[in-house]
Amino acid sequence: MEAVKAENLTVTYRGYVALSDVTFSLEEGTTLLLLGPNGAGKTTLLKTIAGIHREYAGRVLVFGKEPWRARENISYVPQSHTLNESVPLTALEVVAMGALYRSGFLHRKIPEEIEEKGTRALEFVGLPGIQDKLFRNLSGGQKQRVLLARALISEPKLLLLDEPLSALDPSARAEVTGVLRKIKEKRGLTMIITTHDINPLLEIGDRVMLINRRMVAFGRPDEALKDEIIKAVYGPMARAIKVEDKLYCITGDFHVFKRGGGR
Amino acid sequence: MIPDFLLRALVASVTISTLLGLLSPLINVKGLAFLTHAIFHALLFGAVLGMILGLLLNNLSLVMLTAALVTVSIVVVIAELEHLGFSPDSSVGIVASFVAGLTVLGFGILYKVMEGRPYYPLGENIVSYLTGELFLVSLRNLETLSIAGFLILLFLLVFYRDFLYVSFDPEGVESYGGNTRAYLLVLYVIVGATGSLIVQSVGLVTLQVIAILPGAIAMMITENLRKVVLASLGITLTVQVVSIGVAYYTAIPPSGIATVLLGVIYGFLLARR
Repeated sequence: MEAVKAENLTVTYRGYVALSDVTFSLEEGTTLLLLGPNGAGKTTLLKTIAGIHREYAGRVLVFGKEPWRARENISYVPQSHTLNESVPLTALEVVAMGALYRSGFLHRKIPEEIEEKGTRALEFVGLPGIQDKLFRNLSGGQKQRVLLARALISEPKLLLLDEPLSALDPSARAEVTGVLRKIKEKRGLTMIITTHDINPLLEIGDRVMLINRRMVAFGRPDEALKDEIIKAVYGPMARAIKVEDKLYCITGDFHVFKRGGGR
Repeated sequence: MIPDFLLRALVASVTISTLLGLLSPLINVKGLAFLTHAIFHALLFGAVLGMILGLLLNNLSLVMLTAALVTVSIVVVIAELEHLGFSPDSSVGIVASFVAGLTVLGFGILYKVMEGRPYYPLGENIVSYLTGELFLVSLRNLETLSIAGFLILLFLLVFYRDFLYVSFDPEGVESYGGNTRAYLLVLYVIVGATGSLIVQSVGLVTLQVIAILPGAIAMMITENLRKVVLASLGITLTVQVVSIGVAYYTAIPPSGIATVLLGVIYGFLLARR
């Protein structure tokens, strides 16, 4: 079954075209890595599929429905820096958010059943016993995993992740990537993951989409990540290389040796 | 023997402290300090408009009702502007400056109307919106304060967790099926309604201080949410009661004393950091 299907999708943001001409379909259970430079429209596409952003022309369907009608099947994980951490919420309270809004308008207390589910979700992402710690006092990797637990508690079929590895150190990246791999293997969810640095996620990506205000390429990683396509998106310095049968992308958006310096 | 006016002031203080003590942490975490500023302008404009109507229709009870209606309407306009994509700063700035201009215009009209009706103590009433008149709270005022205060409190308690979640991650709430727009609107209306209800008791200037500082102080003392709320409630109530006591013996307006006390506590905690 098709989890996500977009046809001639053009997304506008306050009247401006943010992304145009996107056509693709994603089978249930596959993982799509959404790649593109800053301002390419990755988050906009993700929010459109999540049903948060509704200003678009063309067609986008999630499990055969318009995104906002398919919300019970979708979990969206925002970039962690967009959260207001001055709100003193515990890890469990953050996780419970994912389940509370599936039912009713008033949520004065967190029901025991949701507390139990939240505890189990935290255990799944490798954070047992962290329930009562304040979210803002956790490390970057722990915060990202709490957000993954929040996404999982509602038992979605489609997981949308916005830059889950950004601003994380290498060990935290490895932890989060490990959890994503576990979600793919044990839960079999459909995932769409936006990223600047595709390399840590290439192992779990079944499909890759490159965008830069329009869809430049879509397909299996070895089909989509070709030198000429990467150069078209990231400029002439970018390239794809293979080392011991592993594909790596050098885009300039992450640490790489480059003659004459640079990031 | 406690004089009746002092007793009424103390009872009013409990309602004021409960509402503002609970609201203050939310105002701090959601970043609504600038919104409370716009609410002052709205309240003053509403009060001026209410007095004009009250004088023309010979019904001064219209003042509070008009102030409340105007404030809530203006708060709704601000929420709608934010929904249209304006930043909170721009939305508040645009509306507050426009309303401030209307207030000046309203004062001009009010003075004209007052010229024809010299026997109303209107000068004192409009000043009470700026400085507060906690010792002049009547039994009828107290009734209104208690009933309306209880209703606002009920809404505040019922939606408190939702307000925290909307402050933490509005897009998250939206993506999980919550109605962020509705929650924010309810929160803004609660802030506006609370301001309208207590403005004559504490005054416009002090309202902003009492709405912001107890929450800010509580968040400096503790990180635990439950303790933040309890500390904010305790600080507001203590400061209110102490300022009423001091005002009774010194004849200085209690709102001014409360402001100074809160400022000193905040400054002390800041210096200790």
